[in-house]
Amino acid sequence: MSAILDIRNLSIELETENGPVRVLDRFNLQLAEGEIHTLVGESGSGKSLLAKAILGFINPRWKITADRLWWRHYDLLALNAAQRRIVTGRDMAMIFQDPSSYLDPNDKVGAQLRESIPTGELSGVYLKRRVDRQTRAERLLHRVGIKDTADVMERYPHELSEGLAQKISIAMAIAHNPKLLIADEPTTAMEPSTRGQIYRLLAKLSAGQGMSILMITQDLTAVIPESQRISLIYCGQLMETGPTEEVMQKPYHPYTDAMLSMSLSDQDIAPKTRLPTLSGAIPTLQHMPIGCRLGPRCPYARRACIHQPALTKQQQVQFACHYPLHKDSEHD
Amino acid sequence: MIRYTLRRLILLFVTLWLLTLFLFALNYFFPGDALTNMTGVRANDALAYQRLVSERSFDSSLFSQYLAFLGHFISGDWGQSLSTQRDVFTDLLPLLGATLELSVLAMALAMAIGAPLGLYAAGQQRGSMDRVVMGLSLSAYSIPVFWLAQLFILFFAVKLGWTPISGQVNPLFDIDVQSGSILLDILLSNSPYKGAALADAINHLWLPVIVLAIMPATMLIRITRNSMLEVLQQNYIRSARARGLSETRILLRHALPNAMQPVVRQLGLMFSILMSNIIVTEVIFNWPGVGSWLVKSIYERDYPVMQGGLFAIAALILLVNVAVELFHAWRYPQVRKELYAER
Repeated sequence: MSAILDIRNLSIELETENGPVRVLDRFNLQLAEGEIHTLVGESGSGKSLLAKAILGFINPRWKITADRLWWRHYDLLALNAAQRRIVTGRDMAMIFQDPSSYLDPNDKVGAQLRESIPTGELSGVYLKRRVDRQTRAERLLHRVGIKDTADVMERYPHELSEGLAQKISIAMAIAHNPKLLIADEPTTAMEPSTRGQIYRLLAKLSAGQGMSILMITQDLTAVIPESQRISLIYCGQLMETGPTEEVMQKPYHPYTDAMLSMSLSDQDIAPKTRLPTLSGAIPTLQHMPIGCRLGPRCPYARRACIHQPALTKQQQVQFACHYPLHKDSEHD
Repeated sequence: MIRYTLRRLILLFVTLWLLTLFLFALNYFFPGDALTNMTGVRANDALAYQRLVSERSFDSSLFSQYLAFLGHFISGDWGQSLSTQRDVFTDLLPLLGATLELSVLAMALAMAIGAPLGLYAAGQQRGSMDRVVMGLSLSAYSIPVFWLAQLFILFFAVKLGWTPISGQVNPLFDIDVQSGSILLDILLSNSPYKGAALADAINHLWLPVIVLAIMPATMLIRITRNSMLEVLQQNYIRSARARGLSETRILLRHALPNAMQPVVRQLGLMFSILMSNIIVTEVIFNWPGVGSWLVKSIYERDYPVMQGGLFAIAALILLVNVAVELFHAWRYPQVRKELYAER
């Protein structure tokens, strides 16, 4: 597997009034071409920050350090802002959970869509470019499953449903054929049927044109079957990563196990039973535990957990835990 | 949009109607005879006065008096001046032209200065030029217009002698008053010295226009800067950057139109402030507009003129505000969403 996105030990520190807070702690991620990778983490786990760090939506007050933050053959941290914008603008795109806020409220959808088609890919005189742009915009809308293109293009963003707005932001995101699409909780605000449409669309894009997709979600129930790999992140620390099947079938990490048992979709639960949860709550930014940040909530925690565990590799799966739920010998 | 337009227009008419009610009531609160206050005809002119008593229903109930007042008011019979015996309405129109000329030019100048400076300050956010521009605008905003006007006259007219102290144009040019707006009148006139008259009028004009423009310009600088800074934080600007659009395109196509939205919303308010400044400025520069006319009528206790001046200024402010609101809703589609969907 050759990774086109290679992240090793990426840390992000925010300056707060109580001193620096590490919101992302030595995070690792490798993404292959055409792969869908799902990043699962609760709110505040730093998953959106990771996406912003990859794209370069960076606040100058953040301190970003990494052993590697490579995109193809570019070392993203070594590029200056302008160079980085060229690389990310050409190769990457992102869609968000509140798509309508990413559309200019005073501009018609069609105009914004036409604008996102790179001028370099059009040729000919002005009028021909104009017509080409229009046909390409229509084709983009067809690709994301919008049939009534003429009507949608004449609308303003506030006249769209969230599902439709998300399809349009996907259309705008894929207008320049990016190699990497980051989807940050793209379906949170949507009803299940629209959700299904969006996921199918993303899976099709990945399979059809070798687009890598980094899908960011809140819980394991939202992991789509097309996702080849999965990573779980808790409070900025990578818990477990590996092929989706293996991680879901036989998790090594107590956090994965807890998340699985919390996803109740296919379990038969008697009325009035206590639902499985981890005890305690997600710690606040100022009060992060040392060592493994899951420690205080982990049912298997022992003294060693005050030191952060290194990533252990068992076949395809990597996890960060001193006391995995099973050993390699049990696995095969 | 049609419903919103109708609602605004109905509100406009209701407000104007309430204004007539207020003006009618004023005639009874002012000292002296109500009919004289209303029409400008004194009781010692017995013949005319007696005719007016029946014409204005003063031999009947208060309600029919109001109806008669409204009828005369709408047909343009606003009475005659107590001091000059001239018809108030015919006097008013050219004065309104002169005031409009001053206010439109001042507003245009304010926009031409304020908006670009605000954008420039936003671009230099927290830089030294931002501080300089914001500091200057705050101090200029705090200067009262009557003081500033006199200071300007003292400096530019008296000390430097660049410009006449007061008035609209040199009376030697003998320009007939038609619209009241001096520039228009010169262009309409068949004076053989049009060019010289125009130059003279502009020489008279620029000082009061600058004095008037300073207040709205400083407000515009602040509003434009703040709204531009807010828009630049918005997700759609950041995602446009991430999509690799050029910075010029982002600014002109996405940031600027959105940043101007709150600015447009404030234009009506700015015009109201400008109108209250214009009254003082007209008096100081002896500008033959509604403002100086109104102030003079107050000194002379010329009640019919006072009513006419009050109504003209109030109606102008109302009209401009409604026009700005309608333009705002027409230009910015998501305002209509707020109006219709999020009530």
